[in-house]
Amino acid sequence: MGRILVLGETHAGDLDPGFWEQVSAAVHLGEQTGWAFEVLVVGSSTEDAVTAATRSGADRVRSVDHPRLESPWPEAVAEVMAAACDRRTYAALVMPRSLLGAEVAARLAARLGAGMAMDVMTLRLDGEGLVVTRPVFGGAATATIRLTASPWILVPRTGSFPSTGPTTDPTVEPSPFATRLDDASFGTTIVSQEYQETEGQDLARARVVVAGGRGMGGPEPFRLLREIATRLDGTVAASRPPCDAGWVEPRLQVGLTGTTVAADLYVAVGISGASQHMTGCSSSRVIVAVNNDPNAPIFRMASHGVVGDWQDVLPALLDGLSAGLPSGPAGTGRRT
Amino acid sequence: MRIVVLVKQVADPLLPVSDLAISPGGTKVLGPANVPPVVNGYDEQALEAALRIRDTGRGECEIIALSAGSGFAIDVLQRSLTEADDLVLIEDDSLDTPDSSLISRALAAAIGRLGAVDLVLCGRQASDWDHGQVPLSLAELLGWPCATLARQVTVDDDIVTVERVLSDRYQVMRCELPAVVTVTSELGELRYPTMQARLQARTRRPRRLSLSDLHPVGNHDGGSVLMGLSLQQETRDCTLIDGKDGAEAGRRLASVLIESGFVAGSQGAT
Ligand SMILES: Cc1cc2nc3c(=O)[nH]c(=O)nc-3n(C[C@H](O)[C@H](O)[C@H](O)COP(=O)(O)OP(=O)(O)OC[C@H]3O[C@@H](n4cnc5c(N)ncnc54)[C@H](O)[C@@H]3O)c2cc1C
Ligand SMILES: Nc1ncnc2c1ncn2[C@@H]1O[C@H](COP(=O)(O)O)[C@@H](O)[C@H]1O
Repeated sequence: MGRILVLGETHAGDLDPGFWEQVSAAVHLGEQTGWAFEVLVVGSSTEDAVTAATRSGADRVRSVDHPRLESPWPEAVAEVMAAACDRRTYAALVMPRSLLGAEVAARLAARLGAGMAMDVMTLRLDGEGLVVTRPVFGGAATATIRLTASPWILVPRTGSFPSTGPTTDPTVEPSPFATRLDDASFGTTIVSQEYQETEGQDLARARVVVAGGRGMGGPEPFRLLREIATRLDGTVAASRPPCDAGWVEPRLQVGLTGTTVAADLYVAVGISGASQHMTGCSSSRVIVAVNNDPNAPIFRMASHGVVGDWQDVLPALLDGLSAGLPSGPAGTGRRT
Repeated sequence: MRIVVLVKQVADPLLPVSDLAISPGGTKVLGPANVPPVVNGYDEQALEAALRIRDTGRGECEIIALSAGSGFAIDVLQRSLTEADDLVLIEDDSLDTPDSSLISRALAAAIGRLGAVDLVLCGRQASDWDHGQVPLSLAELLGWPCATLARQVTVDDDIVTVERVLSDRYQVMRCELPAVVTVTSELGELRYPTMQARLQARTRRPRRLSLSDLHPVGNHDGGSVLMGLSLQQETRDCTLIDGKDGAEAGRRLASVLIESGFVAGSQGAT
C-alpha cells in the first residue's frame, strides 16, 4: 500500500494558504489509489499550524519546529523531507506551490532520482505510472506527462484542486519529527533578510484586483490605480515589468512567476496580455482591459475592454466610481 | 575566476498562442519558421550578472556561455559572444527534452570537462517547460551548493553572496565557491552591446563538445515521460466600451462596474 506525504509549509507560524489545495490533491490521488496521506509541518513556532493540519483528514501529522527554519530555507527543508523519505517509503510527495515548495520539489527530484511535475492541473493513474497535465510555455500549451520513477513529486497548480479548508475534526494526535537540524551544516547560509513593503490586501485572495503594466510608464501613475482599487474595495497589483523596474514591490506581481489571482474583477491597465501574465489571472470572473493598442492580445482574453490612453480613461473612471451614478447609457455596444 | 553561464535556446515566449504549433511528434511547441528563437530571458540576465561580477572583480575573470540542445540557431546563441569569452555547445537530438536530468547530466559532464569552474550562473527557469529544475539537478550532480532567485550576485574571495527575491522579502544567502546560482528578472537592465561588438562576435566560432565524448553519468532518466502537448486557445468575447473620447469611455466603464455591483452601495450613493 502506497502512502502520500504532504509538506506543510509555514509562514510566521501559519500554514501556507495553498496547503488545503495540496490536501485536496492528495485526497484526489488517494481516491484513485486507496492510499492514505500524512502531513509533515515544517517551520518555526508551528503549534497552530500543526493543530490546523490535524483537521485535514491525514492519518498522521508530524512536525519539525526549529528556529533555523524561521526564514525560508530550501536546502534545509529538502534535507528534512529527504530524511522523511529515508525512514519510510512514499509513493507520492505533494508540495506547496510557493517559491520554497517548488525549489524543495526540484531538489528532492534530483536527490531521489524521482519524477517531478510542477503546476499539476489534473492527475490520473494508469498502468505505468501517474499521468498528469501541466501548463508549459507560459500557459500557452498543456503538456501531458507520465511520472514513472517514484516517489512522484507533485506541485499542484494554484486553483486546480479547490478546497474549502479543514473538513474534519482533529483525526490524529500530532507528534514531532526528529531531525539533525541542531548541528547539520549546509552549503547555503542565510545571512539576513528584509521584508518588502506591504500594501493592500492579500493578492491571492482579493475579490477585486486593479493591475498596472509597463504602459503605466513609471511608479507615480500607480497612485491612480490604488485610488481606483480602494474605490472598488480591492487591491493593486502589477505585471512583471513594473516590478523589475522597481516601480512597485515584487510581491505585487501577478503571473506565472508571481501570484495567481482568481478575482471577481481583474482590471488590467497598460498590460499587453502575455501568456505568462494571463496564466496568473485568467480564472478571474470578469476581466477588464484598458489599453491604447486595439490589437493588444489582452482584448482577446478580457470580458470588457476600453481602447484608450489610461491618462484619459482612468481619471474619468475614478470620478464615475466616486460619483456612483450611472452616466448615460453604459456603452455595451460592440463585440469583438 | 571562471564563470560558466548556462544559456538555453527557446522559442520566443512572447509569441501569441495563435502563432504557435505543436511539432508532428507532439513533443515540441514551435514558433513560426520566420520568427527566430531567442536566448531564454533569464539566461541573458545570468550573463549580465556575470558581467557585473567581472566589472567589479579583482583579477582575471573568464566567462564561458554553455548550452545544450538541438537545432541551434548559431547567430542567436553567438550574441552571447559579444560579452563572453567563449561559447560551448553540446548539440544532440536527445537533449531536446523536458527531462531535466538528461540535460543536467550533459551540462555537468561539460562543466567537468571545462575544469576549474568557480561559479555557474543560470536563469531561474526556462520559458519552454517552465519548471526551474535543471540548476538544482546540476548542483546535486556536481555536489555544489545552489542559491536561487538572485537579483544581485557578488563574489568576494571564495564566497558568493546573493540577494534573493522571495514573495514577501529579500533574503541574503551565502555559499562557498564553487556554486550554482540562479538569477531572476529583478536583476534589472541588460547592457546593449555596440553593433561593432556584435559583428565581431559573429566571426568567432563556438566550441563544440559531443555528447558521446562527454560520457554523462548518473541515472538514465528523470522519471518522467512527455506523452503529448496541446495548445491552450482560450479566449473570451470582449465587449468594447467606447465613447467620443477616453474620458467618456472611462465614465461608461464606471457605470458598467457599478451596474455589475462592484461598488458596494454605490447605486444612488453620494
Ligand atoms: C518564464 C517567464 C515568466 C514570466 N512571468 C511573468 C509573470 O509572472 N507576470 C508577468 O506579468 N509577466 C511575466 N513574464 C513576462 C511576460 O512575458 C511579459 O513580458 C510581461 O507580462 C509584459 O508586461 P506588460 O504587459 O506590462 O508590458 P508590455 O508587454 O510592454 O505591454 C505594455 C502595454 O501597455 C500598453 N500601453 C502603453 N502605453 C499605454 C497608455 N498610455 N495607455 C494604455 N495602454 C498603454 C501597450 O499598448 C502595451 O500593450 C514572464 C516571462 C517569462 C519568459
Ligand atoms: N539545455 C540547456 N542548456 C543550457 N542551459 C540550460 C538548459 N536547460 C536549462 N538550462 C539552464 O537552467 C535554467 C533553468 O531551466 P529549467 O530547469 O529548464 O527551467 C535555464 O534558465 C538555463 O540557465
